[in-house]
Amino acid sequence: MTLKEKRTILIVLSGLFLASLVFVQKLEVARRYEEAGLSPHSVAIPASSRQCVDCHIQGTPGIVDHWRGSTHALKGVGCVDCHRADEADADAFPHYGYTVATIVTPRDCAVCHGEVAKEFEKSHHAAGGNILASLDNFLAETVEGAREPFNPHSPTPGKAVDMVNGMASAFSGCQQCHGSKIALLGTDGGMITVDELQPDENGRPTNLDALAKVVKDESGRPRFHAGTWPNTGIGRLNLDGSRGSCSACHSRHDFSPRRARQPENCGKCHLGPDHPQKEIFEESKHGIAYRDLKDEMGLDGDSWVLGKDYSHAPTCATCHMSGNIRNGGKITHDPGERISWTNRPPVSLVMDTDINGKIVKATDPAERQKLIADTAEAKRTRMKAVCSNCHTPDYVNAFYKQYDDLVILYNEKFAKPGKAIMAALQDQGLLTPTQFDEEIEWTWFYLWHHEGRRARHGASMMAPDYTHWHGMFEVAERFYMEMIPQARELADHDGGTAGAEVHRVIDEILARPEHRWFEEGAAEQMAAIRKAMEERYGQGGPAAKKGGEGP
Amino acid sequence: MATPVRWIQERLPVSGEDLRELTNEPVPNHLKRWWFALGGTPAYLFVVQIVTGLLLAVYYKPAAETAYESVRFITEEAAYGWLVRGVHKWGATFMIAAVILHQMRVYFTGAYRKPREINWMVGMCMLICTLMLGFTGYCLVYEQLSYWGAAVGANIAGSVPVVGEWMKMAMLGGDGFNSQTLPRFFVLHAAVLPTLLTLLVIVHIGIIRVQGVTEFEFGDEPEDEPKYFNFFPEHILSELIIGLLLMVVLTALACIVPATLGPKADPLVTPEVIKPEWFFYVAFRWLKLFTGTVAVLSTGFIVFIMFVWPFIDDWIRRKTKYPEASVWIGIVGVLLIILLTVWEAVVAH
Repeated sequence: MTLKEKRTILIVLSGLFLASLVFVQKLEVARRYEEAGLSPHSVAIPASSRQCVDCHIQGTPGIVDHWRGSTHALKGVGCVDCHRADEADADAFPHYGYTVATIVTPRDCAVCHGEVAKEFEKSHHAAGGNILASLDNFLAETVEGAREPFNPHSPTPGKAVDMVNGMASAFSGCQQCHGSKIALLGTDGGMITVDELQPDENGRPTNLDALAKVVKDESGRPRFHAGTWPNTGIGRLNLDGSRGSCSACHSRHDFSPRRARQPENCGKCHLGPDHPQKEIFEESKHGIAYRDLKDEMGLDGDSWVLGKDYSHAPTCATCHMSGNIRNGGKITHDPGERISWTNRPPVSLVMDTDINGKIVKATDPAERQKLIADTAEAKRTRMKAVCSNCHTPDYVNAFYKQYDDLVILYNEKFAKPGKAIMAALQDQGLLTPTQFDEEIEWTWFYLWHHEGRRARHGASMMAPDYTHWHGMFEVAERFYMEMIPQARELADHDGGTAGAEVHRVIDEILARPEHRWFEEGAAEQMAAIRKAMEERYGQGGPAAKKGGEGP
Repeated sequence: MATPVRWIQERLPVSGEDLRELTNEPVPNHLKRWWFALGGTPAYLFVVQIVTGLLLAVYYKPAAETAYESVRFITEEAAYGWLVRGVHKWGATFMIAAVILHQMRVYFTGAYRKPREINWMVGMCMLICTLMLGFTGYCLVYEQLSYWGAAVGANIAGSVPVVGEWMKMAMLGGDGFNSQTLPRFFVLHAAVLPTLLTLLVIVHIGIIRVQGVTEFEFGDEPEDEPKYFNFFPEHILSELIIGLLLMVVLTALACIVPATLGPKADPLVTPEVIKPEWFFYVAFRWLKLFTGTVAVLSTGFIVFIMFVWPFIDDWIRRKTKYPEASVWIGIVGVLLIILLTVWEAVVAH
């Protein structure tokens, strides 16, 4: 063989080698980028879901795209794995060779995420649907809307409106956070819910008569009541008897942990005038640090343990749910596990809970002791484990002292007296049994449900403006300037013994040292303030005579 | 003569003539062909690796607790750290590719034959040294894949009969990956192996100088031109041009496809896909084709055959009717390497 022939062989082989090298490097680089999270993971579509993907990529490409970016897709969990249903399920229908259901409930998720589902089941989140029997619901269904549909009273140009759905506010408002009671449409036009279906322990309906009434389309797909579905409220009451919706936080169809770790996710519901936790967080030092440092917090990481994977700033998830190095990285899906006060009701309660996670309300210490399964102190210790990643024990304990003091101040100065005044009005027959038909009922509702919660939540998460100006300031204004005058007006209007009794209750409250200033005045304190103003600014000024211009 | 030059010459009695003679080694005309300059390319890349490696060593902290963070610091925070790391990473790939190409050239042109058998074996030692440098360097990053790559590498070493367990212990500094492992890999990568490779380069070039470059004639050489040309500056200039071109390509690659950093090593979580660096794909795929000891022993046997190939080839040429058998064996060998490498690259497991 000549040298020239060998040269040709060498050129061909070297070319092949270099070409293979480029090819291998291309794959290698793609793999590295994927590993470093710089490119989407490659997804192998499970055989069972191939048909779904092929069809839905045309019809609903967004769903497929979202799923492709999910950990589910990466791990080979496809459409059928979650949507698979049993023929006996109330909402099951045949779909291209599979029996599926539209709504994936916590019972379905529990097939793989059993422990998580158990934690969630115990949580207050899972009980969000209890709003169906609450004042909030009365507001939406009756005060804001109407429990029965009614006729429009004038035409709507461009739209044929023959009936007004009085439940619209409840369906689009309350229930989108709290969760709807999912209903199938009945042949009589009624709703077939979990109450009618009476599912067994496997979630299968036992009332076959109710099942037979379900309206189905020509392909056999049951029709949902449009008011109750779509709905991803966290305490949704599902047809299979389960409560909740995992996609409330883990939005379908990418179920992104990154999103669930961000406060914006919780902000779908935890915001607004009655419980502005999202805004409170944003105002706090925690929120400020988060906004600045979120890009460095490894929100995409498989592991997201405080103290190990990040320490830059906390989010809602950090404090209430995620793992930290002090608790061995244990995540919980019961956000109440670390909360020591409930600031939801008119008067805050200590979060001693029984075996079912319900707050123990008994007042007798021995009876409390018997009922308590998890103390508020234990919950606080769990929260302190989170705090202690960045704060010393002294700092954390001092914070809790400030927080406790604020909650107790609100409880004792305004909440319990407010409740007593409302009870006195009720007991003396000066209020109708119907809520929200009298001004003082709105006043009281604003005081505890909006302003009182803002004050307490503000203190719980270190947002001074929400604690004071949006909180206690407005609570005080509402109490002294609206509630007391309105209660006295009702009492005066009565003019008899009932009114006198209400006056007596109010007088007794206002005679207390913390309220005395309101009727007796606080001349001494005002003089001291005026003197200080004069020293500071050289003049008291006319405003100072009425208490100063404020800070 | 200027005084400083005289001052130096009084102390170092080396004249310009001596230097010229030392560097003006006449080399055969075939070296003017670019593909004969591949021997100098790995040497040049080795220098690039030493320089970038020293810069990386300024920041790198070889301990399980600190290694990943220091690589992250180099990649994300240190000034030009990403560039130095990128050039070092791509330099390793290029160096190994150049070594393989050089070895292919030597093999197919039969430049390993008598009297150059020893230099072939020195070259084989250099190849193994280079691959070991690649392996240890990969492990130092301490990301998930590199950690598990090291763990798998150690287990493979452990499956060698008789000495396997000892090799694994020596490699990891214990039964498994522990606090002693990274410092060990670092010393190997940054001190022992570079020193060894430097010595081997000296021996390799020394032998070439003693024996002279193998002379090839392609038959189309002009009759009236000299058969030799000067190593310096002509051939050195060719090497320099290749070097500068490589530097451009390396820098471009480091910018366009920068070195990435996967998640930190987690000994408790086994990644779904474990793969070594690309230059071990061939061995990795080969090992997967067989079971345990057979796989390891067969790999060792192939390396041994490669080592002593000049003698086997000599025997074939003398004792059989197939004097060019080495070419056909080489073709099969190279195609097999390419096939196994690509195979391993395209499959997940």
